[in-house]
Amino acid sequence: MKISMQNITRRDFVDRALKGSLLSLSFKVGGSVLLITPREARAKELPLRHLDAGQAGMLELLGETIVPGSADSGLVHFIDHQLGVDPDDCMLVAKYFQVEPPYKNFYLGGLSSLAAAAEQNMGKPFETLDESELTQLIQEVSKPGSIIDGYPVFLFYLCLRSDGVDVVYGTPEGFRKLNVPYMEHILPPEGWGG
Amino acid sequence: MAKTLEAVDAVVVGSGAAGSVYAAVLAEGGKDVLVLERGRERKLSDLYSSQIWARRLKWGSPHVEEQGPDSIWPNFNSGHGTGGAAMHHFAVWPRYHEEDFLEQTLYKHSLDWPFEYDVLRPFYDQVQSDVGMSGDADKEIWRPPGDPYPMSPVLVSNHGRVLARGFAALDMHTAPIPMAILTQIYNGRPPCIWDGWCDAGCPIGALANPLVVYLPRAQEAGARLQANAHVTRVLTDASGQHATGVEYYTVDGEQVIQPADVVVLCAFTVENVRILLNSRNKNQPDGLSNSSRLLGRYLMCHPAVMVHGMFDEEMENYLGTNGGQLLCQDGYDKQSDPGGAFGSSQWLIGLAVKPNDLLGISMSRPEIFGEDLHEFMREGAHYLGSMVGVVEDQPMLENRIELSENTDKFGMSRAKVFYQTSAEGRKLWQTAAAKGVDIMKAAGAREAWHGPQAGQHIMGGTVMGQDPSKSVLDAHAQSHDVANLYVGGPSGFPTSSCINSTFTAHAVAMKSAQHIVENWR
Repeated sequence: MKISMQNITRRDFVDRALKGSLLSLSFKVGGSVLLITPREARAKELPLRHLDAGQAGMLELLGETIVPGSADSGLVHFIDHQLGVDPDDCMLVAKYFQVEPPYKNFYLGGLSSLAAAAEQNMGKPFETLDESELTQLIQEVSKPGSIIDGYPVFLFYLCLRSDGVDVVYGTPEGFRKLNVPYMEHILPPEGWGG
Repeated sequence: MAKTLEAVDAVVVGSGAAGSVYAAVLAEGGKDVLVLERGRERKLSDLYSSQIWARRLKWGSPHVEEQGPDSIWPNFNSGHGTGGAAMHHFAVWPRYHEEDFLEQTLYKHSLDWPFEYDVLRPFYDQVQSDVGMSGDADKEIWRPPGDPYPMSPVLVSNHGRVLARGFAALDMHTAPIPMAILTQIYNGRPPCIWDGWCDAGCPIGALANPLVVYLPRAQEAGARLQANAHVTRVLTDASGQHATGVEYYTVDGEQVIQPADVVVLCAFTVENVRILLNSRNKNQPDGLSNSSRLLGRYLMCHPAVMVHGMFDEEMENYLGTNGGQLLCQDGYDKQSDPGGAFGSSQWLIGLAVKPNDLLGISMSRPEIFGEDLHEFMREGAHYLGSMVGVVEDQPMLENRIELSENTDKFGMSRAKVFYQTSAEGRKLWQTAAAKGVDIMKAAGAREAWHGPQAGQHIMGGTVMGQDPSKSVLDAHAQSHDVANLYVGGPSGFPTSSCINSTFTAHAVAMKSAQHIVENWR
């Protein structure tokens, strides 16, 4: 590998980026690999590889409550995709919080803890909670340091909230929603709500 | 059966801040140099402007197990792949001050370095000239002696101007922040465009990462870089006092022996210690270079506090650099803390923020969710002010890196960390947190708050010192026990001060590398 800064301009980077922006996360369907965004993957109802339907539904409901709009932005497909990525290359914020891989255990642990909390606090299964009960449950786990049965639910909340913010605001489209310039050198591969 | 390669003069383990300097100086000194990088080969074109994709630059495996009440944030603060952690560092490059090198002598606190500031100064100056630093030396009233910066300071947007009002109102000084970021064309590299993507890596090379300064120099001088080479052990002869090379594994699991006359470990703090502990043998059962039994000890991490304010005017907080626009070191005097804690502190002011990620707008108020979060995001994107207070941590014996009972995929023990912020550091942090809120309010914030304690920069574990019974390395970052073994990076720092570690890591590596070349036998 030789490295040289000569003759490299910002335009070169942007041009290269625009070509590269056609890339997306790779979703495998029927033996073929599709390069599409998590939003598109959700719209196409592409099968998940690591989460079952019940887990995905619960995760999506929690995510949508914490960050409205994250469901349509493909939150669950983003997480499911990243659960299959080597920890070195993983893009889930759980990595920053020193969660031990495999990260699937962390997400499933969070779902189990919240299901148990619903039973304990509201006396009913998670899937039967109405909107206000769900909000009340999130308020409980969003308290710093919250733990349920030894599981760090506050950390789970933080990570899921960050995943939701990633897919809703961490993209050029998300920046546009906030009316701030993206100012890219190299556009990231297309994805997460773009 | 391990494959044994042809011997080289020097093998450098790690291609980050320290490793790239060693590689350049040794290769330019006529040595045959091989750099082994544990992670993948990384090019400038891999550096996407995205906080999500930036996470690929950070450490992921093998997992660092943490015990103790506080975290050193090993994944966030470390890197992998060409350039290591320096690929995502924020390039805030103040110098250590004179007193940081003499804390035991002057204050009966902490440890002494095995050399004083005057010895390191020419290397600071050399590195500063090599990379092209921006700043205003005259306005940094706290700055120790040194050459003036080769170029004018970084941008000050409304963000910096507004927050500076708060400091001025409280009779505190601010100065342009010294940065390894270009404000003009320098050695063929372009200036910064103030886009705030430092954490994701700077692909234009305005920020002095290893891919644009020392690795090209090293390669131009003939050094070779081997990526995906996972070094597991430093090998020695039967005496255990002479390194013969290193062992590494390829991604395919092939075991390789790389003989070398000189071994330089620059794998960053946790990995430097892990490799040396895993290099234990019959004659050195406690690990290599551990006759002092201090290998892994004196682990340090800067306690840091993010302070935010919501203002009524457009802050332009998306402009600038992640490291800030202005600096304040009024709290640098080791004995100035009103609570009586020992140590220094500094403020990095006006950090460019993005909507998402650990240091982004959303995380400044983690308890907000639902539609309120969207409202907060819309407001914060334009009216949020941010700065970070960084305070000194103390070297404590009980803070340590050890080997875990768990192993990595090559069968080597993983790292296990015990860390608790020093009592002095915790008090300094509390002072900074309260002061920061006062500053925000004095600047005109209608609402001001601070975040929880965080940790920046990982130091110690292979500390330098004069006395072989009280340190791991000597003044040249050379092992007290193994004469042809050197260890680069902040693991060698005996004190943390409150200063971002990368500039000093460069300067110490430059000093050590020149010593190797000048004393080659």
